[in-house]
Amino acid sequence: MFEFFFKYPIPVFTKGRWVLLGSWPGWLLPVLIVASVVGLGWLIRSRLSEAAPIMHTWRAGTIWLLQSLLVTLVLILLWRPAITVAELKSQQNMIAVLVDDSRSMAITDSGDDGKASREAAAIRSLNAGILAGLQKRFQTRVYRLDGGIGRVAKVDDLQPTATATHINDGLKQLAAETADLPVGAVVLLSDGGENGGGVDLETISALRNRRLPVHTLGFGKEQTKHDIEMEDVNLASRAMADSRMKATVSFRERGYSGGKTVLAVRDGDKIVTSKDVTLGPDGTIQTETVFFNAGSAGVRRVQFSLEPLGGEENVANNAMARLVSVSGDRRRILYVEGEPRWEYKFIRRAAEDDHGMQVVSMLRTTENKIYRQGISDPQELADGFPVKAENLFKYDGIIIGSVEAGYFTPRQQELLREFVDKRGGGVLFLGGRFALSDGGWGASSVTELVPTFLPSGKNTFHREPATAQLTAAGAESAVTRLVDDPAKNVERWKKLPYMMDYQEAGAPKPGATVLAEMNAGRAKLPLLVTQNYGRGRTAVMATSGTWRWQMNQALGDPTHDLFWQQLLRWVAADSPGRVVASMPVQRLMDDGRVHLSAMVRDKEYVPAPDARVVAHMIGPAGASALVDMRPVPNNAGSFQAEWTAEKPGSYVVEVTATRGTEELGRDVLTFERTDGVAENFHTEQNRELLEKLSSQTGGRYWKAEELRRLPSEISYSEAGISVRDTKELWNMPIVFLMLLGLMSAEWLLRRKWGVI
Amino acid sequence: MKLFQATIIAVIAAVCCTVGSAYQRTADWGYQPEQSNVKAEFAWSRLSYNSNLGSMGYRGYGYGRWATWQRDYPKADRQFLIALNRLTRIQGRPTEQVVNLDSDDIFNYPWVYAVQVQTWSFSDEEAKRLREYLLKGGFLMVDDFHGTADWENFMNGMRQVFPDRPVEDLENKDEIFHVLYDMDDRFQVPGEQYIRTGRTYEKDGYVAKWRAIRDDHGRIVVAICHNMHLGDAWEWADDPDYPEQFASMAFRVGLNYIVYGMTH
Repeated sequence: MFEFFFKYPIPVFTKGRWVLLGSWPGWLLPVLIVASVVGLGWLIRSRLSEAAPIMHTWRAGTIWLLQSLLVTLVLILLWRPAITVAELKSQQNMIAVLVDDSRSMAITDSGDDGKASREAAAIRSLNAGILAGLQKRFQTRVYRLDGGIGRVAKVDDLQPTATATHINDGLKQLAAETADLPVGAVVLLSDGGENGGGVDLETISALRNRRLPVHTLGFGKEQTKHDIEMEDVNLASRAMADSRMKATVSFRERGYSGGKTVLAVRDGDKIVTSKDVTLGPDGTIQTETVFFNAGSAGVRRVQFSLEPLGGEENVANNAMARLVSVSGDRRRILYVEGEPRWEYKFIRRAAEDDHGMQVVSMLRTTENKIYRQGISDPQELADGFPVKAENLFKYDGIIIGSVEAGYFTPRQQELLREFVDKRGGGVLFLGGRFALSDGGWGASSVTELVPTFLPSGKNTFHREPATAQLTAAGAESAVTRLVDDPAKNVERWKKLPYMMDYQEAGAPKPGATVLAEMNAGRAKLPLLVTQNYGRGRTAVMATSGTWRWQMNQALGDPTHDLFWQQLLRWVAADSPGRVVASMPVQRLMDDGRVHLSAMVRDKEYVPAPDARVVAHMIGPAGASALVDMRPVPNNAGSFQAEWTAEKPGSYVVEVTATRGTEELGRDVLTFERTDGVAENFHTEQNRELLEKLSSQTGGRYWKAEELRRLPSEISYSEAGISVRDTKELWNMPIVFLMLLGLMSAEWLLRRKWGVI
Repeated sequence: MKLFQATIIAVIAAVCCTVGSAYQRTADWGYQPEQSNVKAEFAWSRLSYNSNLGSMGYRGYGYGRWATWQRDYPKADRQFLIALNRLTRIQGRPTEQVVNLDSDDIFNYPWVYAVQVQTWSFSDEEAKRLREYLLKGGFLMVDDFHGTADWENFMNGMRQVFPDRPVEDLENKDEIFHVLYDMDDRFQVPGEQYIRTGRTYEKDGYVAKWRAIRDDHGRIVVAICHNMHLGDAWEWADDPDYPEQFASMAFRVGLNYIVYGMTH
């Protein structure tokens, strides 16, 4: 239809450039148009008094408008308008046809009856005329597209068996391999299931530099009818042995709104936890939180799965796995206590049951005696609280009990601040008669470490009972999770025995999070408040009376110990070591390229750019490699390396930093290369990606009913060997129709108004 | 004649009372002190238990004349608390707290002291409550029982609480003897009777026994001071006739046991 009126196909107008072929100067055209329009207006207005009364209204304006349009159109035609457009030269260009042959193309949701596989539908489209049409004017090369591209002799040989689709890599490879070939356009037949995350700017730039349009043909349903698909699992990649891990699982469903399924977490074959889930509205992402025990030290492959429901179209996307490196290293916490008290005893007892934690304590039993517990050697803390950074920074966390700020020298207070800010450690302030405001911490130089604005006065510590309850933030926190079910956990907190005492800690600072509050008389006060500070974190627990949770509940009740173990782990678990290795992703999907980074610091946690850093890669089947990591310019202490994991499987990377003969530290991380798994996810046609790719490269997304026009319209391309053709527009049918229409309209109106 | 006989009887009765009173020298028999409402971190808790002297008509928790749990009470307790507050940073309540096994109130006092434990007797419920108290984190110090027979009687009660846990002799290197004071040179601490008799022992308890029962983690939960009378040493520490070295040893033992109980 478009070509009937406009003579040429749409690409001529979208890709061409408008020109005027007339020999008269171009500036004259608008001048004459304006003059004509104004002249007509003046003429009509000057004669209006002589015209019939009926014309003394908007009717005169209509006549003026129609006549102006007519004159303008005629004037434009006199200047000979035309379009110049680049067009591929016949038989001198090549069209690259890329057919996705990944496993998702085997899904049978295409064709007229919706029962043909996507691959079969794509081949049928090619054989039904596209390929023949292209071959009339161009040479064609057919490629399979999966992890890369490869030439295919016959289209019918394509089988949808490849384990991955990397459209980005395939196009990049095509651009590189055909750099010296006159490729006029690319035709991509795919479901858009890009496993690599999308088409990057580099690839788009490579195509645009060659002005190579990518025409895309999408296959597959854009929306499934019955499916549950795991979207993501947010889980820390490191954990301490036996720690409580929190995983946020997001998924979406279609066709099962209101239905029920089970979210199960497995460590190997063993189910570590499960949760009944009621499915939300269709298409919306639903998020569930599950808690589970990290287990013993080692590398864990934790799988999260949603139990398949009847009639599900794709059950392979119901599960997702994550690797967790569980460390058996003990975290060491320095606990400074200013007086013997029950809270000290029961915190220590809770920590003793946690094999991942070592609480090293110094307790002032008398004015001049310090009793040390948990020390590793007789010299540890023999001189009291450390005065050197390298001695204090050995610890991962610090607890400040009922001890006055003045007990610490200004240097020690500054070390305490640096411990959090620079070393990235955690500090927990407890309530007590020498703690917080009553201990002078509010007026100290490190008051900024406390996550609350401490009251200015004293006598904030009260030996009166107080009960605890969770805030909304506390209900979601792993620190305060006593039972897995969130609602039951909130109720569990409300039923805890009262605490023996409480302390007014003041209002929480901006950015701080109140996890628990306490009811003290009629007042509601912050009980447990946390905040991030510098590289580390701090918290205040404004009581010394939680020991009643241990003594006043049934024998064997884990509440007290569990809470303190979780809080102490929060304090210490995330404190970084001197060497911290990292990777952008720890699950490589069908791609073995590894980008490894490491931050190296010395004993005082000062960046160590002069370190020698080596990564020892240990892979499946005994594969092993040593990779030297190179310093990153302008980023002291930062090192990086690239490596390729050739085989699928789990890998362990041990990064070791040395300075001379001294080992600065080491870190271990894990990653996994999985091939073929990503292909099970997002199996609906990704039309958005295909449309975006074609629009960014000057191509077009083609619908099935439009395909017959593809061979002819694809030729309007500036890539390959092309000529610029000039197409005059004066003889377009639409022009004559407009001339006729304008004149007829004026005549008909005049007839109607009776002024002819 | 009748007046003479009455006088003789009255004199004899007075002498008997005086002798009996002098023998015990417990200035506050029958004294029922008020419980303190002062709030502090540490409350000296004395265990009021049910005595097995029931056959003699003295069974009960009461403050009666023969309630054995209150031996040296409350002077010993208060004199000890003076030392506690003076010599350590523990915030001790100036007066003692009497607790029993009839209610869960004992769980608010994680350290408890008991004397004359050869006379204690537990119902099943009381034994269970004491067992739970100790396994949850409570600490029991027992004192002032002497000789073989007392030991057997003490153990009769203890076996109700812990049927299977062994009693062990503490060694010098044990942490409880070093937590505050180093106490490798311990010796038998006699009761007040030492002033009159010069003996450091009572009955056949010739040698002081420093014993303990531990929990599953190896922490002492019951500290047993057998063949010694620390309570008397605290009580009579201000008596010029009572030797200072015994009082000092008794205070140091008590302080170590409290600090241990508050740290382990």
